[in-house]
This record gives sequence, C-alpha cells and structure tokens, in this order.
Amino acid sequence: MRRMAGIVLAALLFACIMYAFTFVKTYDYNSSDYYYTDPIEGGKVNETVTGHYIENTKNETGAINAVTAIVVEYRGFDTLGEVTVLFTASTGVSMLLYSLHQRRKRREANLILKEGSKIVLPFILLTGAYIFIHGHLTPGGGFPGGSVIASGFLLMMVAYPKYFLKESRVSITESVAGMIFVLIGMLGLVFASYFLENFLSLGDVGRLFSAGIIPIIYIAIGFKVGAELSGIMNNLKGVEE
Amino acid sequence: MVIHPVLLIAIPLLFAFLMPLLKRAKAVTIIILLFNTLLAILMFHNVYNNGPLYEIIAFSPPIGIYLYVDNIAALLAVMINLLAFINFLSVEKVEIKFAMLYLLAVASSTGIVITGDIFNMFVFFEIAAVSSYALVAWKRDKEALEGAIKYMVLGSIASVLMLVGIAFLYSEFRSLNIYDIMNRMDEGSVLILLSFAFLLTGIGVEAEIFPLNGWVPDAYQGAAGSIASLLSFGPSKAGIYAIARLLMIFSWQQSYDLALSVGIMTLLIGELAAFRQENVKRMLAYSSIGQMGLILISLSMLDSTDYAIIAFFFLLVSHAASKGALFLLSERKGFGSNASKYAGIVSVMSLIGMPPMAGFWGKWYIIMGAMQMEAWWIIAAIVFSSVVEAAYFARYLSTTMQEEEHASIIAAYPPAIMATLTLLLGILPFIYKIATIGGVING
Repeated sequence: MRRMAGIVLAALLFACIMYAFTFVKTYDYNSSDYYYTDPIEGGKVNETVTGHYIENTKNETGAINAVTAIVVEYRGFDTLGEVTVLFTASTGVSMLLYSLHQRRKRREANLILKEGSKIVLPFILLTGAYIFIHGHLTPGGGFPGGSVIASGFLLMMVAYPKYFLKESRVSITESVAGMIFVLIGMLGLVFASYFLENFLSLGDVGRLFSAGIIPIIYIAIGFKVGAELSGIMNNLKGVEE
Repeated sequence: MVIHPVLLIAIPLLFAFLMPLLKRAKAVTIIILLFNTLLAILMFHNVYNNGPLYEIIAFSPPIGIYLYVDNIAALLAVMINLLAFINFLSVEKVEIKFAMLYLLAVASSTGIVITGDIFNMFVFFEIAAVSSYALVAWKRDKEALEGAIKYMVLGSIASVLMLVGIAFLYSEFRSLNIYDIMNRMDEGSVLILLSFAFLLTGIGVEAEIFPLNGWVPDAYQGAAGSIASLLSFGPSKAGIYAIARLLMIFSWQQSYDLALSVGIMTLLIGELAAFRQENVKRMLAYSSIGQMGLILISLSMLDSTDYAIIAFFFLLVSHAASKGALFLLSERKGFGSNASKYAGIVSVMSLIGMPPMAGFWGKWYIIMGAMQMEAWWIIAAIVFSSVVEAAYFARYLSTTMQEEEHASIIAAYPPAIMATLTLLLGILPFIYKIATIGGVING
C-alpha cells in the first residue's frame, strides 16, 4: 500500500515537473524582458545575462568553448563547489567502506578481456587527457575527461580481480589537484582583484596555450575527478592492505 | 583593512583537500577554525561599521557570482564558526577523514549564509548535505547507518527538487543572482509558483520543518554527540536562514501565511513528540524540530512587525548554542562535574525561555510581535509549547542530575563555554543594538 502510494506520488511529481517545463518560454537572448539589474550599483542594465555570455566570452575569457568559459570562469566558484561535492562523497565512501573488507572471490576474466583491456587502457587514458587538456577549445572538459580516465581503471578492475590502485597515490592526486584549484583562486585575489579572476594573459585565442587559467584549472579538475571516481571504485571493490 | 569573506570558504576547503598530506589532523583543524572565527569576527566588525560587504568572484554579478554579507549573515557566520571551533575541542580522537568532513560541513554552512547567488547556495547545500550524511554514519553501527540512510534518501530528493526549482526560476528571469531576481519579482506565473514550492520543499528538508523532517530523530540519535551538535548549529541553521531569504525573494503575503501555518504545526508536533521520547538524543532532536517551528513563526512575521528580525536572531543563536551544549552532554549518562551541571541547567533554561537567557528574549520578542499583530492564537501556541518544553526538560534534568559519571576535563568544558555564550547573549545589552541594526535580510 505504502509502496503504491509512493509510486503514485512520484508519478504525479514527475508529471507535474514535465508539465511545468511546457511553460518555459523560448526567447530571443537580447529581449528587453530579461534585462538584469546590477546588484552592486543598482539600476537596470541594457543587457541580458545570456546575451553577455554569448557576445563576450571570447574577449573576456579567451575560450572558444562558451560552456567551458561559463563553467570555469564566470561561475568558477560553483565548479569549485561541485568538485568539493565529489570530493566529499569520495571521502565519505572511503570512510564507510575502508573498515569493511568484503573481499569476495571473483572469477578470472577470459583471455580476450584481459589482453584487450591492457591494449586499450593507454588509449582510454590518452583520450581522457585529451578531453580535459582541450576543454577550452573543444566540447568536453575536466569532468568528462576525468570520468573517461576513471572508466579506464574500471575496465582494469573488471578484467583483473587482483587489480588495485594504491590508496595513497589516489589521495595524493586528489589533494594536490584540489590544492591547485584553490590556490589559483587565491592567486587571482593577489595578482588581480577577485578570487578566481584570470591573472594570466589570454594568449592567442584558439591555440592550446590560451585562455589564461582555464586550462590549468581544467587539468586539475580532470586529475581530481579521475582520482576521485577511481578511488570510489577502488573502495567499493574492497581496499587492499 | 580589506576583508575577503571568500577566505571563510576557501581556507577550509584548501586544508580539507590537503588534510591527507598534513597528517596532524586535530591541530590543523583547530587552527583553521580559530582563524575562521577571527576572520568572521573581523568581518562582522567591518560590516557593523561600514554597512554590507560584498565580494565579487571572477566577474561582477549577475554575470559572475558574488558573496553578500549583511549584519545578520555576518553574525551567523561568526556563530557557525565559533561554535564549530568550541565543539571541535570536545572531540577526543580525531581521524583525518573526520576532520576533512567536519571542515567541509562548516565551510559549506558558512557559504550558504554569505553567498548572494541562488545556484551557489544550492552547491553549498550539496556539500553540507553530503558531508553530513558521512558524519552521521561516522560511528558505523546500526543506529548510525539507519539515520544516515534516511537522511541521505530525503536529502537527495530535496536537492533534486531544489535544482528543478532553481531551473524554473532561471527560465523565468534568466539570472541566478538573488538580488536581481528579488528586484524583478512580480506576482507569480505558474513557473514562479512551482519554483517557490520546490525550493521551499528542498530547503525545508535541511531546515527540519514539518512535514519534511522524518530523518531528524534517527539521524540525531545515530550520530555522535559532537556531530549532532554540529548538525544543529551548522547546516540546519543555515537552512532556516536560506528559508528567510527565500521568503524575502518571493515576499508574497501568501508565502508568509504558509510559513506561519507550517511553523505552528512544526512547533506543536515537535514539542509534543519530544514529550513522549525516552531516549535523550531523540528527545533533543524533537525539541530541535519544535524550536525550528518557533524560528519559522518569527520569519513569517518579517513583513508585519519589526520585532520579527530581533526574535529571529535571538531564537536562532540561543538555540544553536544551547542545543549544541546539550547534544555534547548527551554523549554521557549523567552530568558528573560542576561544569557540565552548569552547562546543562543554563542551556535548558534558555530553551524553555527563562530570563535572563538569550532564549527568553527570543520568545519575548516573538510574543511582542504577535501582540502587535493581535494574533492571540500564536501567543497561545507559543505559551502552550513552552509549558510542554518545561515539563520534559524538568524530567530530563531530574534524571541526568542524579547520575554520576566522571568524564575527562577537556570534554566537560566545551558545553560550559557554549552555555556561557547563551548567558552572555541574554545579559549584555549591546547585543540588542546589533540585532536591531540588522534590519532586513537582503539578497
């Protein structure tokens, strides 16, 4: 009975949210209905937030990928938070599972999987690294890149029952990458005027070495996300002493 | 001197990341919390003298994110960090991961209070929630895991609802800045109405309001004393402050009425449930729910009377300090030493609302506000709940006073310090001035 009621409630909520999305207006990004007010100066500005992103991304951040520019530059503080959420989750998982050594006996994988994964692993890692290094130029970035890297280690864990990542290495990678992110933010406070503000030159827009701090932060995020997700899988598998 | 509020968040995050490399978890955490407390006090001093402080992050808002600190926010930041510092002193054996999660919970609660951007607030809610799940489960026994699971299920649903609410709000205003949204708010379309409902539900889980508080008794019962104390002055207080801001953003008469009825229900149900509890921590948890209802009632008066903001401030801070002390004491069977007895009695007196404790002023001003509004039934509900509170706290004191248990001296002092804060807050007159100058809760 309770279960039925729960299902009905969930279905209603889902229907309600879906129905509500039909009210979302499509709009011209320069429409004057959405001109924002400046929270610091007060008063209306003849510009919309979306319009600002679309028109000024390249000049202000030096990134070609506007999504990256928003994620890492304009709303970089949120991204720092999201990275921290993942970090908190991985810390929580390792805290809860570290003491329980539920190591079950696993069957050996077949030859094709074992040999194939050895061959594929470097390419998976390379793809992941490519995705986060080129975050400011092509679709993708630190989060997908890190996930790709973690998927490579997942493949190894599936293929070899005894494959483990060293807990200490994972946690050092996490720590250093997180530290780099926060320190870059603080350097912005020192060398420019705001936290996480770009203090490096934007360079030649479109080249690999451009867009100031964006690639550095995205590389740190890539390492961090990769280490965290691999660490979670490592812990779920059972930590090796 | 330039104060950077962002350091209140960045420094704990940096050291939480670095903790596995540093090893000396306890010393580092104490230094960071002390630094944060001092910074928060400096920040409050600055805001008190020079008016609201804002800190732009990366780009000027609403293109980027900014932190907005007014009097009330600065005071809450001081409260959260100071209590977190005192509370941490009571933890005897500190593991590295415990210290990391503790710092993250404190930094994110501070972040919820001082941010000026609604999506940023959501991100901090996520960190606060995820670190709280892990901390509640810390003892790893059956009770702790049960509490953590319940909290996690409700908390995850809450954060999804909050995210959908923010998405609707964005689709209507194309901006995430709280001040900007507040300025352009009008009588609601369907989407705005729905986003209010979703945001209230999502934040309500964290703020322990009825009927979203099913996780509260189990989580508090399962958690260690210092964690229950952290939950009661950290995330839940930040949550209720977020509800205050939510009411300010939408500021419809109907939303205040809704807050009033939910607040009264939360108050009565919480107190009556607390009366029936056998377990000390469960009783304290239900009593927390009741107090949250009281705080919500004070919020619902924000639009109608000037007393509301003073009542809100006193209720929030006194409840945080005295519940923190009681949760720390609940780890032990009896009070034992004199310091613990003092802490227990002062905290209980403040919660019941006896003069001259801070809790008394909270109830006093909320009743003054209700009298001004001529809402007699609010007064009746508050007086009734105070009587119930007095009854179960009398029972609590009479059982705990008799039992003797000698705990180490270090563990006895943090609750006593928290109780002294409640006492000072009630006695010193200048606090009143700070509270009145707080004025409006702004975006």
